[in-house]
Amino acid sequence: MTVNNMADPRRPNKIFRYKPPNTETNPTLEDPTPDYMNLLGMIFSMCGLMLKLKWCAWIAVYCSFISFKSLKCNASGLLSISAVVMSYLQNPQPMSPPW
Amino acid sequence: AVVKYLLCVVRLQHAGRYNDDFDDGEDIAEFDDNDFAEFEDVSEDPAVDVEKEPPPRAAPSSTPIEDEEDEATVENEDGQDEFEDADAQDQDMYSKYDNEEFEGHEKTNPSFKDTLIYREVPAHLQNSWESYYMEILMVTGLLAYIMNYIIGKNKNSRLAQAWFNSHRELLESNFALVGDDGTSKEATSTGKLNQENEHIYNLWCSGRVCCEGMLIQLKFLKRQDLLNVLARMMRPVCDQVQVKVTLNDEDMDTFVFAVGSRKAMARLQKEMQDLSEFCGDKPKSGAKYGIPESLSILSEMGEVTDGVMDSKMVHYLTSHADKIESIHFSDQFSGPKVMQEEGQPLKLPETKKTLLFTFNVPGMGNTSPKDMDSLLPLMNMVIYSIDKLKKLRLNREGKQKADRNRARVEENFLKQTHAQRQEAAQTRREEKKRAEKERIMNEEDPDRQRRLEEAAQRREQKKLEKKQMKMKQIKVKAM
Repeated sequence: MTVNNMADPRRPNKIFRYKPPNTETNPTLEDPTPDYMNLLGMIFSMCGLMLKLKWCAWIAVYCSFISFKSLKCNASGLLSISAVVMSYLQNPQPMSPPW
Repeated sequence: AVVKYLLCVVRLQHAGRYNDDFDDGEDIAEFDDNDFAEFEDVSEDPAVDVEKEPPPRAAPSSTPIEDEEDEATVENEDGQDEFEDADAQDQDMYSKYDNEEFEGHEKTNPSFKDTLIYREVPAHLQNSWESYYMEILMVTGLLAYIMNYIIGKNKNSRLAQAWFNSHRELLESNFALVGDDGTSKEATSTGKLNQENEHIYNLWCSGRVCCEGMLIQLKFLKRQDLLNVLARMMRPVCDQVQVKVTLNDEDMDTFVFAVGSRKAMARLQKEMQDLSEFCGDKPKSGAKYGIPESLSILSEMGEVTDGVMDSKMVHYLTSHADKIESIHFSDQFSGPKVMQEEGQPLKLPETKKTLLFTFNVPGMGNTSPKDMDSLLPLMNMVIYSIDKLKKLRLNREGKQKADRNRARVEENFLKQTHAQRQEAAQTRREEKKRAEKERIMNEEDPDRQRRLEEAAQRREQKKLEKKQMKMKQIKVKAM
């Protein structure tokens, strides 16, 4: 409405390029949850493989799913899936609830 | 053989008699020629009957045994009795065995009397899917998570697109560059949002009078994370739109100002470096300036507040108070306070003239794309603020006050870090000395070594002399 009265505020000669904010100076802005989930996933899948605990392997799968979306890190995802598969190959019994 | 036959006859008679005793219903016809027929009856009979037997049987049992041995050769007539006795004795013996066998037991023959107990087949041997219920639960949970991820991501994407569609015209009429990811060689508008991740979208606009550039961040809720969704059911949170306008030096005078919800102001005063240093007073209620009670103001000086709170600004704030989280104008903006690891950092943080707006999207999480239109007036307010601050200048007194404030802050900072800077200087000097000594040590040529040592000594001497001179001068001055 008032644009016709005012001069055009745009200035093509005053363009600055976008600089992604430096996250090193502000580590608090980053969300640490996916990193923790990744680590937890690795730990649980190791436990599941070594101690042959099925529920450990399942929790590892969940953790890696949660962190997978944010980090796109496939290593822990594949590790947890292999933990689940190995647990079932070694012991085809169905999982009993831990209580 | 005759004896055997007689025995049988006698037993039959006895069996009949015993049957009367035990059980009137028993039929003699049931007996076979089998010698043990009557014993079958005895063993099958319930405990009750056998237990009744012990007293009457126990007594005569001892005597017939002795009698049998003595009267083994007695004639038939007597033999009948004897046989009877013997038979009775046999019966007694068997009954006794029965009694002895089952003494102390309530039931005599559990395997005949009790029902069969069915043991459960172990789970892994069953061929049913039901035993895998935990696994099915787990897989269902995973599927639910994936479904939620897809749905949440799509919703965030739709909200972002709706926001951009409603704001596109305003932005394109104000900025030469709308949308830039920083990677392309030429500065051309991409005309679309940058997706940083599933819940954060960026937009960089530049090429306008009165400002360097504007970064808009759409900070949506993490709808793609099921855990977050569940957490939000306990504690509702809003989507937020954050607008950060960076200014050139000539675009803004030197002052620090903030207005927003009371909670946000209290939090920012503690968190933000510049607000904590320059706006020491508690947040003032907005009612004094004609804006709703729910908003409060942090300001470096009264003149600034009066200058910012003109009628149009008051109108904007009053009509959209629910959507405003915080508005922060500052020439000393350096972000939140940095957590120190070891004491203060050695130099002041870098500052930039910045306007920071944080808006809450209405709907408290249950937003629909239509709600994005209601944020458009707020963007108008942003543009208005940019233009206004270019013209807002402090008077002479205000400027002096502002300069004094900034000098004071810098001095405080230097004082706090003085000790640390001294320490740092000391360590640097020691490092230099050590490096020199090492060089001298490593020098292979003994002559050169000696010469370097002498040079170092001379330098030390000079320094000492200088220090002594200084001390003398100070003493003289003091006197």
